[in-house]
Amino acid sequence: MPLTVPRLIDRGDLLAALDRGAAGKVTIVSAPAGSGKTSLLRAWADRAGRTARLAVVQVQRDQQDAQQFWLALLSAIRQASATAGRAESPAATPDFNGRAMVDTVLSELAGARSDTVLVIDDLHELNSPEALGQLTRLLANLPPNAHAMLATRHDLRLRLHRLRLAGELAEIRAADLRFTERETRELLASSGVTLSGPGTVLLHQRTEGWAAGLRLAAISLADHPDPERFVAEFSGSSRTVAEYLIAEMLERQPDEVQDLLLRTSLLDRVNGELADLLTGRSGSERILLQLEDANAFVVSLDPERTWFRYHHLFSDLLRLELRRALPGEVPALHRRAAAWFTQHGDVVEAIRHTQAAGDWADAARLLADYSLSLTLDGQTQTMHVLLRAFPHRADHPDLALVRATVDLVRGRLDEAAAHLAVAETHARTAPPERQRRLRVAIASLKLSLARRRGHLASVIEQVTFLASPVTGESGADIALDSDLRAVALMNLGSAEAWCLALPDAERHLREGAVLARRIGRPNLEVTCLAQLAFASKIHSFATTQQRCREAIALAERYGWGTEPVVAPALMTLSGTMVWLGEFDEGERWLRRTERALLTDAGPDIRLLLHQTAGILHAGRGRHPEALEEFGAAERLASQMEGSHALASQVTGWLLATQARLGAPGQARARLAALDDERASSGEIGNARAVICLAEGDPAGALRAVQGVVAGTAPVVGYVTLVESHLLAGLAHRELGDPRAANQATERALSLAEPDRLVLPFVMTGSRALLEALPRHETAHAALLAGILDVAHGSSLAATHPPVLPQAEELSPSELRVLRYLPTNLSRPEIAAELSVSVNTVNTHVRSIYAKLQASDRSSAVQRARELRLLSAGLTGRTAVTRSR
Amino acid sequence: MRAHLPGHNHGGMDSAPCRYRIRVNGHLGATLLSAFPVMVSQQQGAHTVLTGFLDRSALYGVLAEIEALGLDLLEVRQLAPE
Repeated sequence: MPLTVPRLIDRGDLLAALDRGAAGKVTIVSAPAGSGKTSLLRAWADRAGRTARLAVVQVQRDQQDAQQFWLALLSAIRQASATAGRAESPAATPDFNGRAMVDTVLSELAGARSDTVLVIDDLHELNSPEALGQLTRLLANLPPNAHAMLATRHDLRLRLHRLRLAGELAEIRAADLRFTERETRELLASSGVTLSGPGTVLLHQRTEGWAAGLRLAAISLADHPDPERFVAEFSGSSRTVAEYLIAEMLERQPDEVQDLLLRTSLLDRVNGELADLLTGRSGSERILLQLEDANAFVVSLDPERTWFRYHHLFSDLLRLELRRALPGEVPALHRRAAAWFTQHGDVVEAIRHTQAAGDWADAARLLADYSLSLTLDGQTQTMHVLLRAFPHRADHPDLALVRATVDLVRGRLDEAAAHLAVAETHARTAPPERQRRLRVAIASLKLSLARRRGHLASVIEQVTFLASPVTGESGADIALDSDLRAVALMNLGSAEAWCLALPDAERHLREGAVLARRIGRPNLEVTCLAQLAFASKIHSFATTQQRCREAIALAERYGWGTEPVVAPALMTLSGTMVWLGEFDEGERWLRRTERALLTDAGPDIRLLLHQTAGILHAGRGRHPEALEEFGAAERLASQMEGSHALASQVTGWLLATQARLGAPGQARARLAALDDERASSGEIGNARAVICLAEGDPAGALRAVQGVVAGTAPVVGYVTLVESHLLAGLAHRELGDPRAANQATERALSLAEPDRLVLPFVMTGSRALLEALPRHETAHAALLAGILDVAHGSSLAATHPPVLPQAEELSPSELRVLRYLPTNLSRPEIAAELSVSVNTVNTHVRSIYAKLQASDRSSAVQRARELRLLSAGLTGRTAVTRSR
Repeated sequence: MRAHLPGHNHGGMDSAPCRYRIRVNGHLGATLLSAFPVMVSQQQGAHTVLTGFLDRSALYGVLAEIEALGLDLLEVRQLAPE
């Protein structure tokens, strides 16, 4: 080994060119292999006095997985901006959204406090048109404080004309990178090589200033007994520069170094342990370190210098030499590497090496066994690439499961179903220990497929066995089985939630979330929590909202705040806001749900999206728009298999809206077409009542809601019952019976009080009922005032909260008093309502005025509305968190 | 670097393999030649000429290999059928 260490020489002109480039948006270094692109970028980055933060990404060999590329890029940016080691590394998601990812990267770049230079090396290895398209968008929209430097072997299909025209694109090409004679001299001198002037000129001519050639020559020359002769012989040879010089360099290395380089050349990255394994010797780490120190085309990948990679050109030539020199050993070397990677949990590398060894059946089995885990790792694109590597003759029934997984993620449902059928047949012939695992994987995929198609009811009974644990023996088995089990629980629980088997859903989803957290699967944890939030409808709205916010907060931590995975929680939160009369807030969450569902949405969640949009419009009195949304929701419901419980709710609202819009005849015609089961539901009963009222038949309306009021008609939830009482109230009013109308209204208020439900009052048009209700006849004056607020169009959330100066937190008892301030109850009356003394109320009121900086009752109410304190739940929890 | 593909088949998908002659700078030794198992090589002056029957994707595979190995590509020519 040469003892002197050749350093990167100072290529002043090029560094200056990079400096100039860095003043614009993008610099591209485009030149063939071995031109010294990486060394130049490294020299520029290492220079003292640099103020910009540097985020460096090396694109992996033949990278076809867009998500893996972007995750590497994002994590480089985060590392660059974090103080030592504090960066949260981004996690993969099965439903990767490239557009959202580019937005995230852009906003993190724009939000950085200092300038950032993003260096992307070996960009020609990025073989994903999708990722290149996304990269184009990133480059075209870089914030002013960011610059990108791209190194590539050939020009890429990036569409950067506009940057070029704007003078924001700098280019450095092969001719610029060629070493001059002077630089050749400096390189040799810094490598400890003494060579005559003519010898240097000869070497420069022979290599044509090609950086890799000069560096290779320098390594051989450094301890050469007769450098002049070396150059003369090299110059006299007509072999290609790289082949000649690598052969020379290898020949001059001790046997064990040669052997190590050859045998480990088939790895994309190597460490001492792996090299020991492939060479059958110890001490490899020392050799790797020495090679890096000698600048011999070996580069460490981590600060601890445990992992190394070879320069691509160098390793390509070594691989060729390995196959020529030791052809019989190549498959065995791949097998050893595969075993090591399997043991160390790098399944993708293990599968690649198993394929390279020609062990196709083993590779197929590995890929099938790990297909769920790889999906969870967000590696479906990589799975697709691995699948394509199997030759036709080596097609294996194990691959059907993998194909089903990939097709499902890509939304090709029919193909997925066909592959699943093959996989199912094949699983029956598998040995018993694998059979159980395959069955679980297949059942999970079936559920997931059924969910996407809205065909849940038919599969759910077949797969309840998923709830029982899978039992593995080895550590790897347990990890695999935990992944399987967590996915199974998630799928089962979600399916149950959508079938409104809510207690089972909650149990399975909660268990799934706990397991997902334990095994470090954040995406799965978010999925479980988001579905759990959706399944929380049996609890109070406050609990539901809290669960939604928990799921959303966790998703945001991983950058998935607008991903499909969190959509059920976003949707549920939006829905609860609308029910509570907070229409602006509800709309905000609804918009976010729409964004999350841009890339991928099954019919079930789209149904809910339209339904929520419908009630939002209805709440705001925009009945034509509401009708359109309910119509869209109903069309989706009809595509879904079986009688979905939510469907009768949608149909009920649809008919009621038609009637309110003055078309009771149409509504009645559709009513007549419903089957008996649907027609007998409470939701349809309410619709019938609305139709009767529109037709001027209040007695008919009373008969229509009788079943619900008496508790005999099945209902989706108590909200239906609130509606029924209100419709009864309206009918009594028409019939000239104000007493009965008041009683019905009061019943609706009592039911609505615990959650502070507003929407049914607004949707049914019950304002007149509420206004007619004598204040001394209601125990719900505060709620009543709140509802009238909404009904008068002064939505509780008329302004967005955070723009206002922060108010000091109100205590729960102060909040309770506050809720009575919009009413016309006097202080003694409020005291009576709350069963406290007048003095206590006075104290609270003074404190409320002080905290809200209000001078009187009306300004306090105004301020409380702005801060949205009046809409808070009973506990005041929401208010407390919001006023922080 | 000069490379040209005389296209007598504009726009159409050329599915049948054709004979191609690919010229690179320098003499390729046994190691480098092993990267082109389907090509016959011949030294012509300071150049190496690789000849072989290739369909489109095989042709691009060979060109990618030439790029990866840092070879200096001088000419690509489709030969008339013999």
